[in-house]
Amino acid sequence: MHEMSIAVGLMDQVLEIAKVNGLKEIDEIEVETGFLRQVIPEVMQEAFLAVRRETIAQNATLKIVEIAPLSECNICKKQFEPQLNDFLCPECQKADVKVLKGDEIILKSIQGKESK
Amino acid sequence: MKVTVAKRILKDNDMIADKNREIFRDAGLLAVNFISSPGSGKTTLLEKTIAELLPEQKTTVVVGDLQTTRDADRLVPNALDVAQINTGMSCHLYANQVADSLLGLNISEADYVFIENVGNMVCPGEFDLGENVKVVLLSIPEGDDKVAKYPTIFRAADLVLLTKVDLLGILDFDLERVTNDIKKLNSNLEILHISSVKGQGMNEWVSWLKAKRQQNVGAKAKFITE
Repeated sequence: MHEMSIAVGLMDQVLEIAKVNGLKEIDEIEVETGFLRQVIPEVMQEAFLAVRRETIAQNATLKIVEIAPLSECNICKKQFEPQLNDFLCPECQKADVKVLKGDEIILKSIQGKESK
Repeated sequence: MKVTVAKRILKDNDMIADKNREIFRDAGLLAVNFISSPGSGKTTLLEKTIAELLPEQKTTVVVGDLQTTRDADRLVPNALDVAQINTGMSCHLYANQVADSLLGLNISEADYVFIENVGNMVCPGEFDLGENVKVVLLSIPEGDDKVAKYPTIFRAADLVLLTKVDLLGILDFDLERVTNDIKKLNSNLEILHISSVKGQGMNEWVSWLKAKRQQNVGAKAKFITE
């Protein structure tokens, strides 16, 4: 559901970076999506097909790498893998955490052909 | 050629949100982003809250809806100023829409800016508007499985308001289930029970707002003396 909003934001960034780097055609875009952001790859791919239309990325593929979550308990500092619905520290049984990984949506790289 | 980027998507939105936050800080007010599904009682809560804060404290409102100015119209009588943003097909507000609205609003006299987001429990969680606090509403008629279904927005919340609690006991709603689900996401998250229509919990809610504002304005005073 939120994939379209993310795809729009992604494409804005991709086109801007392509311009700065003198790319005339984009072949591949790689993004990392944190597990906790609940980006569904199939939905994201569909949204990407819609936003790449009539741009220099119209033939580009989107590579999505999901990042596993990791959190750290603020009380005992134990690091553990939280679930979407469960951030309870296995030691303290309290959900008082800092999320170290899995909350990010990052544009990693763009591959394309340079203008002559 | 491969260009390595490693940049947050939605960074553009976040940068505008940071600017909004500066505007709120300079105006010495508390900005609250109200998020919930449609029909949870956001507008009624805002109507009652704005009236409750008067005459000492004034509120400016930014309302997001796909269509109509109905919500804004309801808030006009007691609010200092109201801006309605029609988002069309977009299911959430963007920071730049809030920034544009602020240009036309009286915020220098305001103590609060209430931002009523589009009714939706998913996308508004992705877009920082520059608010100081996120208040997530969950109404009793929606059912007790909402927290488990939409954990991300509840994890992002600074306060959960259980609304329409006058319907507890009439509708089948397992309060303990909701409380436990929230505690598993953030054990420190405060939950207030409120009925805008009956007035229940209104004092606690208004006190919470005032305390948050005090923290914020206190931080501002500190910032200036430094």
